[in-house]
Amino acid sequence: MLTVKNPVMRALTSLRLTIVCLAALMILVTAATLAQVGMGTVGAVNAYMRSYLVWWNIPDSQWMIPVFPGGATVGLVLMANLIAAQAVRLQATWSKAGLWLVHLGLILFVGGEFVSGMFQVESQMAIESGQTVNFIEGRDAELAIIDVTDPVQDEVYSVPARALRREGTVSLPGTPVSLKIHGYAQNAQLRNRAPTDPPARATAGVGTAVTFVQVPPVSGDNEVDSSAAFVEPIAGGRSYGIWLASQALGAPQSFTHEGRTYQMVMRHRRQYLPYAVTLKKFSHDKYAGTEIPKNFSSLVHLSNPATREERDVLISMNDPMRYDSKAFYQASFGKGDMLSILQVVENPGWLIPYISCVLVAVGLIVHFTVSLMRSSRKREAARLAQSAQEA
Amino acid sequence: MNKLGRYAAWIACGLALVGAFTMLRAPGQVRGLDIDGFSRLPVLEGGRLKPLDSTARNALLVIRGQQSFRYQDRTVGSGEWILDVLFRPQVADLQPIFVIDDPGVLGLMNMKVAKDRYYSFRQIAPFINEIQREANAAQAIEAKLRTQYQSAVANLFERVYLYHRLKNTIQLEQGQGLAAEIQARGSPGSEQRVGALADLAYFRPLPPLPGQKAEAWLNSGEALRSAAMGSVSPALEPLSRIAWAYSVQEAPAFNKAVKDFQVSTFSVRPEAQTHVDHETTFNRAQPFYVGMVIYVLALLTVFASWLWKPQILRPAAFGLLCAGAIVQTAGLVSRIVLQGRPPVTNLYSSAVFVGWGAVLLGIVLERMYRNGFGTAVAASSGFASLLVAHHLTGDGDTMEMMRAVLDSNFWLATHVTTITIGYSGTFLAGAIAIAWTLRKQFAPRINPETSKSLSGMVYGIVAFSLFFSFVGTVLGGIWADQSWGRFWGWDPKENGALLIVLWNAIILHARWGGFARERGIMTMAIFGNVITSLSWFGVNMLGVGLHSYGFMDKAFWALSGFIASQAVLMALAMLPRQFWKARASRDAGTGTQPAKA
Repeated sequence: MLTVKNPVMRALTSLRLTIVCLAALMILVTAATLAQVGMGTVGAVNAYMRSYLVWWNIPDSQWMIPVFPGGATVGLVLMANLIAAQAVRLQATWSKAGLWLVHLGLILFVGGEFVSGMFQVESQMAIESGQTVNFIEGRDAELAIIDVTDPVQDEVYSVPARALRREGTVSLPGTPVSLKIHGYAQNAQLRNRAPTDPPARATAGVGTAVTFVQVPPVSGDNEVDSSAAFVEPIAGGRSYGIWLASQALGAPQSFTHEGRTYQMVMRHRRQYLPYAVTLKKFSHDKYAGTEIPKNFSSLVHLSNPATREERDVLISMNDPMRYDSKAFYQASFGKGDMLSILQVVENPGWLIPYISCVLVAVGLIVHFTVSLMRSSRKREAARLAQSAQEA
Repeated sequence: MNKLGRYAAWIACGLALVGAFTMLRAPGQVRGLDIDGFSRLPVLEGGRLKPLDSTARNALLVIRGQQSFRYQDRTVGSGEWILDVLFRPQVADLQPIFVIDDPGVLGLMNMKVAKDRYYSFRQIAPFINEIQREANAAQAIEAKLRTQYQSAVANLFERVYLYHRLKNTIQLEQGQGLAAEIQARGSPGSEQRVGALADLAYFRPLPPLPGQKAEAWLNSGEALRSAAMGSVSPALEPLSRIAWAYSVQEAPAFNKAVKDFQVSTFSVRPEAQTHVDHETTFNRAQPFYVGMVIYVLALLTVFASWLWKPQILRPAAFGLLCAGAIVQTAGLVSRIVLQGRPPVTNLYSSAVFVGWGAVLLGIVLERMYRNGFGTAVAASSGFASLLVAHHLTGDGDTMEMMRAVLDSNFWLATHVTTITIGYSGTFLAGAIAIAWTLRKQFAPRINPETSKSLSGMVYGIVAFSLFFSFVGTVLGGIWADQSWGRFWGWDPKENGALLIVLWNAIILHARWGGFARERGIMTMAIFGNVITSLSWFGVNMLGVGLHSYGFMDKAFWALSGFIASQAVLMALAMLPRQFWKARASRDAGTGTQPAKA
């Protein structure tokens, strides 16, 4: 083994640091697991694993103090340690080839997780039986302004949640309309106005008849926020009143300016696709004589005018449709088996774990085989020495 | 191994296997009734075809916690019990089959906790309304938030309801019997009775009618309904004779009716009988129970060998261990064939498989080192895991159908099996470390070679488990990526697997870096038991995530006890040298501290 003189380098390449990092990772994983009971998976993972520091809220105060390095910090230190030790300490010999492979695989693996963490986009596609859908929906909200004047084609303008949160004025390009945002809540409940409620902030539409109550954002994995915003459309120097747009409202509200009708809808962020998916049949099989689900599957028709693709695809549990660098998975169902919900995931790094897994597995086999052979050679030599002595 | 030793191994193995074979003999008749023939009949229950024997055993296991019971100075088996429930409910109602421990539930029935914890339906019946009311209130609460009383009363009501359904499976308890119902088909009032019967029935004994799907087995209510429409199941008539003959205890008529029923089922579905006969044999052989007994014998023999005649007893213990492994392997293979699934499908089968893996590894170690430690550790791991499995059977059928997301033989075979082998390895390393600790504490003298070989064993096995738990964990990630697009979802079970990987990696790095020597490695290996048990069972108690397929509140205390015992062992392992009994050879180990003069 080479001797490392620089004390910083020595610390960075030390095996002790590896062990400390691995132990810290164990503590974080344990904490993140236990925290899931109260915070939900997403909340716990964001707090412990996808953070640089773990913060602790001092009870009954606004103060937060960092108490432990977060998963991202530990991961980065471990990577630095691994790469430095690999470069400085580990000799490039055939007997160490297994360890080289293992560590290379691990570096790739953690790198892949960073890629997934940064670039993975998860959305959903909900289709009712017989319906054709050409968009996917994200978890966060958007305010859509839809020009429905043309009976053949709608023009859709969307304002993402982060623009709504900034408030101020947003102008819709290509239209005379601009929107003044008077307030945004990530999660708000609506109820019918009671006589004692304070005056409504909305001056037009349904918002005048309901009371708006802001509630904390949800943390559970199966819950969704119901976002709401107060919006004032202004066009040609004229205000159309302050409207309440909310995901809790069913029917769209609209106003008309110079003969063009604009609908306002608060909804999940939509991404339109250059192709369409039609649900032909959703199947929910059960085992004979029981209610135990056996399989869920959606028979869909994929139609892409650009590539002239017209084909049927069966999406079932453990068997997704991979198309357009997205994967469509059977996730859920509803409405008496008439609605199928597909999870749509786009992850440019999806192949990395497969490669790194093979590298690590092969590396471990090589390394342990080499060790086993060496130890059995030693034992053989000892036995020979002993018998030579006896002779 | 000398000649004598070799004979001892073969003889011990052979004797144990002969003992195991005697389990296969058919049970005798009771009062001249062919109960065995009746138990072999195929029925559809819980989504799969099984012998009535399995249904009866599992139902009795759920209700009473045992597969047979003593009543009026003799043992009543599950076959005889189910016949009484089906056709002589007035007799079954008197049998003490409901186990009730909870003082609150007993108080509800104006009873005190007595030495005998078993109660008959007749004793419970007057309080059925109170029990139902309390159970409904308890069922409105989420299972993990219920108090002990609430869980107990909800559980008692479920068992009473199961019993009620069983009684109304072939004919209505309060009715005139199946024969009368066949006669009265189409008459006024019959439709209502038949409807009730079709809804309550617990299992389906009648094969599909011609032209129906292969899995469309019928219960007697459904068969009566289609008989009223004109398509009479040929098996219905012999079934009614079984019911009548048993209720009047006419042995010859009962035996003939069972034969006739068998023939009529066989003519429609010949393959069903062969399939369920295999399962009946499996039930009777009880390979995992027999395996447990053989492992105990092996363990006792190896202990004896350390005191007396090691040349004979050590190989004999190894022979017994191999016999246990053969019996357990036969049981595992039977389950694989019966289910058409890879070996691990639920918590129960994972316990069986973990033990099996540890036993096989132990056999390999014993062949390599030949000092009895492999045998001792393997036999105790095998015994312990089968004991755990035995306590996981309380939910009834251990071969239940797989829920949709798990319905993938490929991933069950790769991910689940690999990760379970990783558990086996980590537990075995822990078991060897425990053996090392106990030996240091209690053995009068220690030779350094054995210490060194134990340490070599632990290193090898930790490396083995690191490989399997890593590959298993990543395969799980790949399965998740395949089925819902997330390679890593931070699900508690995934995190548990990750913890095992990290811990094994820490042990190996600590050894390579020289931070932990023999004693440190042994202590760490014992802590591996704690981590594995938490990731195996503990995460299920959190009740979150995709893997929480078995929430168990009773197991909480067992798990806490296990962890406490491991903490004590770790403390023992860490004790400085002057506390060891085995001080004679101080220079033996390569402990972290130099020996004091």
